[in-house]
Amino acid sequence: MSDPAAQALQPRLLQTQSTGTAGSGAAATGSGPGNSDPARPGLSQQQRASQKKAQVRAFPRAKKLEKLGVFSACKASDTCKCNGWKNPNPPSAPRMDLQQQTASLSESCRSCGHALADHVSHLENVSEDEINRLLGMVVDVENLFMSVHKEEDTDTKQVYFYLFKLLRKCILQMSQPVVEGSLGSPPFEKPNIEQGVLNFVQYKFSHLAPKERQTMFELSKMFLLCLNYWKLETPTQYRQRTQKDEATAYKVDYTRWLCYCHVPQSNDSLPRNETTQVFGRNLLKSIFTVTRRQLLEKFRVEKDKLLPEKRTLILTHFPKFLSMLEEEIYGENSPIWEADFTIPASDGSQMGPQTVMSPASVSGSAALSKCLSSSSSLGSVDTGGVEIISLSPGEKRKLPEALTLEDAKRIRVMGDIPMELVNEVMMTITDPAAMLGPETNLLTPNAARDETARLEERRGIIEFHVIGNSLSQKSNKKILMWLVGLQNVFSHQLPRMPKEYITRLVFDPKHKTLALIKDGRVIGGICFRMFPTQGFTEIVFCAVTSNEQVKGYGTHLMNHLKEYHIKHNILYFLTYADEYAIGYFKKQGFSKDIKVAKSRYLGYIKDYEGATLMECELNPRIPYTELSHIIKRQKEIIKKLIERKQSQIRKVYPGLTCFKEGVRQIPMESIPGIRETGWKPSNKDKGKEVKDPDVLYNMLKNLLAQIKVSLTFKNSWNTAEDLILTPAQTHPDAWPFMEPVKKSEAPDYYEIIRFPIDLKTMTERLKNRYYVTKKLFIADLQRIISNCREYNPPDSEYCKCANTLEKFFYFKLKDGGLIEK
Amino acid sequence: MSADTKIAELLTELHQLIKQTQEERSRSEHNLLNIQKTHERMQTENKTSPYYRTKLRGLYTTAKADAEAECSILRHDLDKIAEIKSLLEERRIAAKMAGVYSNSDPPRKTMRRGVLMTLLQQSAMTLPLWIGKPGESPPPLCGATPASSDYVAKQGDKVAARVKAVDGDEQWILAEVVSYSHSTNKYEVDDIDEEGKERHTLSRRRIIPLPQWKANPETDPEALFSKDQLVLALYPQTTCFYRALIHSPPHRPQDDYSVLFEDTSYPDGYSPPLNVAQRYVVACKENKKK
Repeated sequence: MSDPAAQALQPRLLQTQSTGTAGSGAAATGSGPGNSDPARPGLSQQQRASQKKAQVRAFPRAKKLEKLGVFSACKASDTCKCNGWKNPNPPSAPRMDLQQQTASLSESCRSCGHALADHVSHLENVSEDEINRLLGMVVDVENLFMSVHKEEDTDTKQVYFYLFKLLRKCILQMSQPVVEGSLGSPPFEKPNIEQGVLNFVQYKFSHLAPKERQTMFELSKMFLLCLNYWKLETPTQYRQRTQKDEATAYKVDYTRWLCYCHVPQSNDSLPRNETTQVFGRNLLKSIFTVTRRQLLEKFRVEKDKLLPEKRTLILTHFPKFLSMLEEEIYGENSPIWEADFTIPASDGSQMGPQTVMSPASVSGSAALSKCLSSSSSLGSVDTGGVEIISLSPGEKRKLPEALTLEDAKRIRVMGDIPMELVNEVMMTITDPAAMLGPETNLLTPNAARDETARLEERRGIIEFHVIGNSLSQKSNKKILMWLVGLQNVFSHQLPRMPKEYITRLVFDPKHKTLALIKDGRVIGGICFRMFPTQGFTEIVFCAVTSNEQVKGYGTHLMNHLKEYHIKHNILYFLTYADEYAIGYFKKQGFSKDIKVAKSRYLGYIKDYEGATLMECELNPRIPYTELSHIIKRQKEIIKKLIERKQSQIRKVYPGLTCFKEGVRQIPMESIPGIRETGWKPSNKDKGKEVKDPDVLYNMLKNLLAQIKVSLTFKNSWNTAEDLILTPAQTHPDAWPFMEPVKKSEAPDYYEIIRFPIDLKTMTERLKNRYYVTKKLFIADLQRIISNCREYNPPDSEYCKCANTLEKFFYFKLKDGGLIEK
Repeated sequence: MSADTKIAELLTELHQLIKQTQEERSRSEHNLLNIQKTHERMQTENKTSPYYRTKLRGLYTTAKADAEAECSILRHDLDKIAEIKSLLEERRIAAKMAGVYSNSDPPRKTMRRGVLMTLLQQSAMTLPLWIGKPGESPPPLCGATPASSDYVAKQGDKVAARVKAVDGDEQWILAEVVSYSHSTNKYEVDDIDEEGKERHTLSRRRIIPLPQWKANPETDPEALFSKDQLVLALYPQTTCFYRALIHSPPHRPQDDYSVLFEDTSYPDGYSPPLNVAQRYVVACKENKKK
């Protein structure tokens, strides 16, 4: 912007136009006012630009030079400040045909008087390719000029003007255009929108049957494609509906979008980026509400133009898809935007089929091209919403390439199982829900606890609603009826709770109840009170009417409650469970181990005498209502993979006999045949394990010595000194464990203790290099303790010794980095 | 022959029988159409000539024979199904015995209650419907019809058994017969609820066998309990029988009874109407309790 010549640019360019050297630029303007705006890169806009470029590039060299001369500084003398050659014979009519005679190199400039040759002297030895590149920029500059001229929005106009100047300068200097300034360079956010949306599809839909998943995947591709060609609202429009500081941030994003994504769509001199690849959640947050409305409106208006099969997809699934996505965009705890988003391996692989199977990762994705065919039918009509152009083959590959990269990542997550294999397996596993046939109330014995309930909910037999009383507004009659129903269910199922007490809480506006409704009647529910400031929710009552019990409703209720709380960002449940309820709560993931600080709940939660406080911590990444289903599928996949491996290998090894011969432990890899199954020592262990056996040996030796030596007499256990230990050599508590127990001292010892061990034996084992892994060593140490506890009464001196020793060596193990924590 | 191959064979036979049924059915269809046409023709001619009379008589005789043939095939089908079911039952009992007597194996995991409940529902749903020949009256253990006084339940039969619970209370539970001793006249029964894992030795009086057929309300309503009759009914989703009044008997073969359980936690002393399958409703002998 500091270019002093900048101010002069505009009039000069105007003149250029009128000279007719850029005559076709004017022709383009005439062809349709709406289309020359580079912010509307309609089919024609981009095509026109490339047509024009092809045309200009086909000019004879002399004509090309003349065209470039217009944008080239005069080099006649150092003092000449002329920035571009001007035709001394301006054509009379503004719309010149291209047949106009080429100006000769000797023709002098109308501005500085020097010959055209002086302006283009730097181009003499320049290759044809470079000339053509420059000519491309010339065409783009001309188009940008028109855009600047016509744009009404100030912010947008400014950016166009900046880009115009930038390109102009690049022609002068024969350089590559680089957008400078405070905008930063792409990508602006990580993870990008595309990643986020694909994560979303995995996160929310990976449990679906392959066909439905494919549908969701296609919707996501369509959504991404639309975003890439979507015209964002201007900062002025944005400002009108938001706060000031947000608007400032939006303006920056908007400018970035114009410079890096939008203008380059029709202006290929500028490096082009896809909106969904360089922007992330923040931009999506700012534009989603408006974009969604426009998108849906657009689809609605144009529904008749859609392909029939796409029509149902878009009209029935797309709104729901967008609503679910909205929750993830604006929700505070959505995992899909985390940089390290991964879902359990086999789950992740479920997305694989669509991406890998489509032949298009190589030559234009099937999913993508389907998507394109639907969208190009949209793009043909411009109602001011989305405009979608068909991509040139080169660009078409962009998306699939990005996807194959992701696949590669997922494969790594999977371990060594090739994606193709997983896909094959996936194809053979059918949706268990679909397999159940008509008599679905008859379940297989290994069906998940909540399977029936889930099916019933899907079929609309049961419903779940979070309801509550309100004092500020009149509750509707149905809600009140349900509340009465809940009160009845609770008071029948919880006979020890006074009915008045139940009534008071169920109708208390601060309490809410998740109600389970069947045939319009309440058959169960969980009454709870949220304490958002304290970060937990109290489960107050929880019951299912007796004749509907043992159907998995209780589990499904709790899972719904968990998802409700994840949505509301409360991740702890606390409850006082009576003795009959403890079992239920345990099954639902509650534990008596309370992690919430006492200060956070004391005085908030209702305290019940004789009841046990239990807590459940929620993991916002788990889709609880589908969890058992997902795990079931994962198991099926693993099982299939194992079956395949078995059918490939088909070899029976004789069983291991070494254990009968007294060997206690052998390394996993020495089991015959285990390598053929594809088993490898796990990476985790490898990472932690000390690789050099000598290093390990020394570490363990040192440790053992410490256990035996270092703490000597530090503890004030006076008797130890008088006991059998060699002075100054032993940890005082180690004395009972120094040597093998003598049969004379404990005649039945070896009948009770099957695996005797002591520090002396351990020292020998160490010397014999028995401890090839730290695990073996720790196991022996632990065995000393457990043997002692097994043989001796808990309050004996021996056991006290064992306790002290255990503490000591775990401390040492941690200290030495051999175990974690 | 192993039970598996036997069952497979029976299934093949059943398959063929069902095909035959269809053939039989299309044959009688043809005849029935003939009857209809003859009637129409008689109507248009508006007189009953001896010719038509003879013709119709012949047609009806054939139709009756057809229907009887079809009926007998269907009965045959039902017999086959019953045979398959009894084989399955035998196998189940054998497996159970094997499970009980092999102490070396770690104890079998108990069935989850929900699964047990679905099994019980399934058993109620697949209880055969008794279909008598014309004029035949329902046998004992069909619907509400009691067993004869000297009836002895077989091994594997489900019964309502009156047991003493830990707290001393008497309770009617759903149980399975293990054995019957003719010398002591006592049953050995297992609590159906595997969580209980209890075996009870009980006198005959404490055992009520469950129905082995459903009674068809359309043809044998007398074999059903009637409204307001006192019964013992299995409380839904449990394995215990409680006293209840019949609220309404089933209307169609697959319907359940609607019963009102005695329940003091409700103001009028009875629960709201709940559905219980025919399989799990038996007569309540003790009319006066408490």
